[in-house]
Amino acid sequence: MAQIFSPAADTWLRVATVVLAGGVVGGTLFASGLARSTYETRQGWHVDQPVPFSHQHHVGDLGLDCRFCHAGVEKSWNAGFPATHTCMTCHSQIWTGAQILAPVRDSLAKDKPITWTRVSGLPDYVYFNHQIHVGRGVPCVECHGRIDKMPMTYRGEAFKMRFCLDCHRHPEGRLKPKDQVTRMDWSGWTAKDQASFGKKAMQAYHLNPSRMTDCSLCHR
Amino acid sequence: MRTRAEFETAFEALGDAARRDVLKVMGAALAMSGLSACEGEPDPRAIPYVTAPENLIPGKPRFYATAVTFGGYAQPVIGTTYDGRPTKLEGLPNHPMSGGTTDAFTQGQVLDLYDPARSQTVRRDGRPASWALFEAAMVDNARRLDARQGEGLRLLTGATSSPTFARELKALTDRWPMARWHVFEPVHEDGALEATRIAFGRPLSMRLQLDKAEAVVCLDADLLGPGPHQTARGQAWAKARLAFQQGSGRSHLLVIEPAPTQTGVMAQDRLAAGHARIGQLTQALAAACGLGHATVALSPRETDWIGKAAALLQAAPGKALVVAGPQQPPEVQALALQLSARLGAIGQTLILTEPVLLQPPDGPTSFAALTRDLLAGKVDTLAIFGCNPVYGCPADLAFAPALAKARTVVHAGLHLDETAAFAQWHAPLSHALESWGDARAVDGRPSLIQPLVRPLYDTRTIPVLLEALQGRPGAADRDLVMQTWRLAWGDGFDDRWKTTLPKGFVDEPLPAADAQAGALPAIAVPPDGGLEILFRPDASAWDGAFANNAWLQELPKPFSTLTWDNVVEISPALAKEKGVQNGDVVRVTSGQRAIEGPAWIMAGQDRGTVVVRLGYGRRLPGGLADQIGYDAYPLRLSSSPWRVTGDLARAGKRHKLAPVQPVTEAELADFVRTAPADQARTVKRAKTVSPSFYPDKPQAPPQWGMSIDLDLCIGCNACVIACQAENNVPSVGKGQVLQGRHMHWLRVDQYREGPDEAPDMAFQPTPCMHCEEAPCELGCPVNATSHSAEGLNQQVYNRCIGTRTCSSYCPYKVRRFNWFDYTGKDSPQVQAVRNPDVTVRSRGVMEKCSYCLQRINEARIKAELEGRPIRDGEIKTACQQACPTQAIVFGDVSHPDTAVSRRKIQARDYVTLEEADTRPRTSYLARLKSEGA
Repeated sequence: MAQIFSPAADTWLRVATVVLAGGVVGGTLFASGLARSTYETRQGWHVDQPVPFSHQHHVGDLGLDCRFCHAGVEKSWNAGFPATHTCMTCHSQIWTGAQILAPVRDSLAKDKPITWTRVSGLPDYVYFNHQIHVGRGVPCVECHGRIDKMPMTYRGEAFKMRFCLDCHRHPEGRLKPKDQVTRMDWSGWTAKDQASFGKKAMQAYHLNPSRMTDCSLCHR
Repeated sequence: MRTRAEFETAFEALGDAARRDVLKVMGAALAMSGLSACEGEPDPRAIPYVTAPENLIPGKPRFYATAVTFGGYAQPVIGTTYDGRPTKLEGLPNHPMSGGTTDAFTQGQVLDLYDPARSQTVRRDGRPASWALFEAAMVDNARRLDARQGEGLRLLTGATSSPTFARELKALTDRWPMARWHVFEPVHEDGALEATRIAFGRPLSMRLQLDKAEAVVCLDADLLGPGPHQTARGQAWAKARLAFQQGSGRSHLLVIEPAPTQTGVMAQDRLAAGHARIGQLTQALAAACGLGHATVALSPRETDWIGKAAALLQAAPGKALVVAGPQQPPEVQALALQLSARLGAIGQTLILTEPVLLQPPDGPTSFAALTRDLLAGKVDTLAIFGCNPVYGCPADLAFAPALAKARTVVHAGLHLDETAAFAQWHAPLSHALESWGDARAVDGRPSLIQPLVRPLYDTRTIPVLLEALQGRPGAADRDLVMQTWRLAWGDGFDDRWKTTLPKGFVDEPLPAADAQAGALPAIAVPPDGGLEILFRPDASAWDGAFANNAWLQELPKPFSTLTWDNVVEISPALAKEKGVQNGDVVRVTSGQRAIEGPAWIMAGQDRGTVVVRLGYGRRLPGGLADQIGYDAYPLRLSSSPWRVTGDLARAGKRHKLAPVQPVTEAELADFVRTAPADQARTVKRAKTVSPSFYPDKPQAPPQWGMSIDLDLCIGCNACVIACQAENNVPSVGKGQVLQGRHMHWLRVDQYREGPDEAPDMAFQPTPCMHCEEAPCELGCPVNATSHSAEGLNQQVYNRCIGTRTCSSYCPYKVRRFNWFDYTGKDSPQVQAVRNPDVTVRSRGVMEKCSYCLQRINEARIKAELEGRPIRDGEIKTACQQACPTQAIVFGDVSHPDTAVSRRKIQARDYVTLEEADTRPRTSYLARLKSEGA
């Protein structure tokens, strides 16, 4: 009766075991790395838009307030996108013939809305509310990054649950004066300022982090 | 046996499968189920307005005061719209009739707006046409009618109370004096009007003041049952009952009825008697109160009941009320009215007004007269607007064949229904939520109807069609309504219109009419002709008008808890006699006429009474309601619309029925407790907290809890539909209900105990109990259900992997599992009704009542931004908001001075399945005994 296993069989078994184990470990590492990568979270990735709108120019250079366009941010869960009409408050006067603004003029003329592509979309099953965050002094920059330095808008932070929870567990480190909520550059604001203001804000708003991690706060 | 009865379909589904086969299927299911987790990316598009509407805040709902109609009456509502989509109706809070509450039909009407089976185009002879063609044809027709002063023009509508309709009709008959208006309303109140005519000399509407009544006797009158009056009467009755609970005033309700009704369940003494027998008992009761004579031989039980009723009525002068139902013969109702009058009810517990509904020239015989004229060839043009006479026609009137004799038949309706098939022209009607209009509530107060959304399709309203009929196409519904009120209000119109529209109604109830009781009516005893077959509207489909509504179809009917079907309801004694079991198809015959439908044995029903339910057996191709249930109309007679006599026999077939709760027999005290009346005013002894291995839960305010007063719950199901609308609860269809997979987050349990002839019955709304020591939370392997610091039992859909352990651990069985993707294939219209504040669940996740978490969160954010605690009563759960009797109260249980805490300290407060020691946050208040108060 012939041998069932060739002399190399043992080697093959070892190679297969190593490759398989490597594959499992490597695959897991790759998958978890991918999930954390900016490719998956879209953090820092530009998105094509019908009009190459520059936040750098409008916010950074011209100093427009965020709320001029995102008017719902203090009143609703939804910050909202500006209606074409809002764009045209200025652009009916300036850059009236600019080629890049043609879709905006078209939109008004034809009464067809501009279809923007969302940059800061939240995962499913999350109900985020702008109104309460802005109302408690979480500055825009905390989640949206330095919008004033984005010629093309990209996602400033990875909207992972951990990102939300970090702040919900320690809001004192992020809260800023409510009247400066749209301020982008906080370079003059020291850690000491933050510590003293954060403490005051926590007391003023009766914030209790132990209640701020309830599932039902965001998931329903 | 009982397990088998309760899980019949599970046993059936298992069948004879071998253990190995079951394991194989389970293995395959496990292997495949992973794939279902793969899903697409969310839609990245963001589409803002071109010009944003004024005062619109994106993401915030807008509310409009308006009304929907039901049986011709307005049901005043506040409509919620998100981004222009109406999603929810709530009662109009300031309206005295409803106090901000609603019934199940009103809640369901928002889904009707989006019904994919709605008619969307004008049709001529069944083929698509256009409004231009229709209007041109009407212009020609109007010219022809002008020449003959409208002779041969007949208008047929459902019951209506619309002032604009009245004005349009008057304009039409002024121009064409020979034209005539007829009314077709299958579930009408003609008998009640006739009764007032007999008793007081002219037809009047009765406005019951149940809040002022301390002794009410109902003679086959389902005051608290489904119908256009339910909200008003439920609310008023609850007011009186609450006063009684607080110790001021008494609350006696005595009922005689042929079949169980919600009113009967709330009664302290309920007597089952046949329809005809009730007439005699009314005479006996009147005689016992000193009105007229009766020579009726009474059984001891009847003597006892009548003696008790007479004593209670006479002990409450000015606060007593005797009502006979609109289905009783007018003479019986008239006698009840005169008895009420004698007891001093007029002006106190009973206000008589001019009729709220507009009365057609031929009165109750309106439809019969039209059919006769059609057959005689007197009708040239027949316009049928907003009713469906071909479906609901009584058997003795050959309406459909008679239609062939009219030159032109124009039909306008929400659906391409049975009548549309016989009409040359069909025009699609607008739904109330997309039109301008007006109608009167049951108390006579006119409501303005304003649209929540532009018409979804190119549709018209009835007043606009009346204009078109007169050769004036292109009228705007808004202008027509404004014209009515401009005439009514004169100079102050502009200001008044501006203030009335947001308010929703004109605060002018119909004034009390002067009424003097005349001679006593003679009550004839109908000849005995076998079984009494009674026609009753269905609690889900009504007369058929709501048949195509999935929410209402899947709403378990009171007592039987059946869904998606109507049944022939028979008494247990008759069932035994005829050898009939639940689901056996029976043949009900009356003279030459017969229908066949599945039987259902109804404990508490009079032996010789057979109840058939209207509203089913529709022929509505493409609709949900098409061919489900049986059609009871072919047994009905126009001369005797509510009762015929006949017989019943087994047809030798079976029909599968889908009850939500197959077993209703139980030991009542296990679930629904009854307490002496003073327990509502005594404080509970401090409860001893049983020891627990687990650490105590945080109790810092707010801590949410709920109290349901079973003494007030009338089992109307408004809460169930309100919850469904608010929380995007899917309808799953009869097949899934049969497998026990219905999805209602809140169910109304039905229990009965005692002899089949006279059982003690009770309703018990059962939402998630939000147990402090929730077993479900221990069971979940992935922590998808957990406890919040505010005492909520939270369910996190994105964490749930669908093991269903929580459901098997739940003693209350309130968790619902998505066995399939019930929502993914919804048509775009149906998707539009969803509440954007609540996740739409997909396959494989568990869901359950969240105490309307979205409302809690919204109120919390509002309160926090205003720097104050959440006020008591600021958060109303959807079920609480809809409840006509305010049986449900929700709030902070950690604060002693909240409505819910004040209830929970009452001695009659209890929790169900206390032995499980899960410490539910939802507790119940025991029913109270009315006697001895």
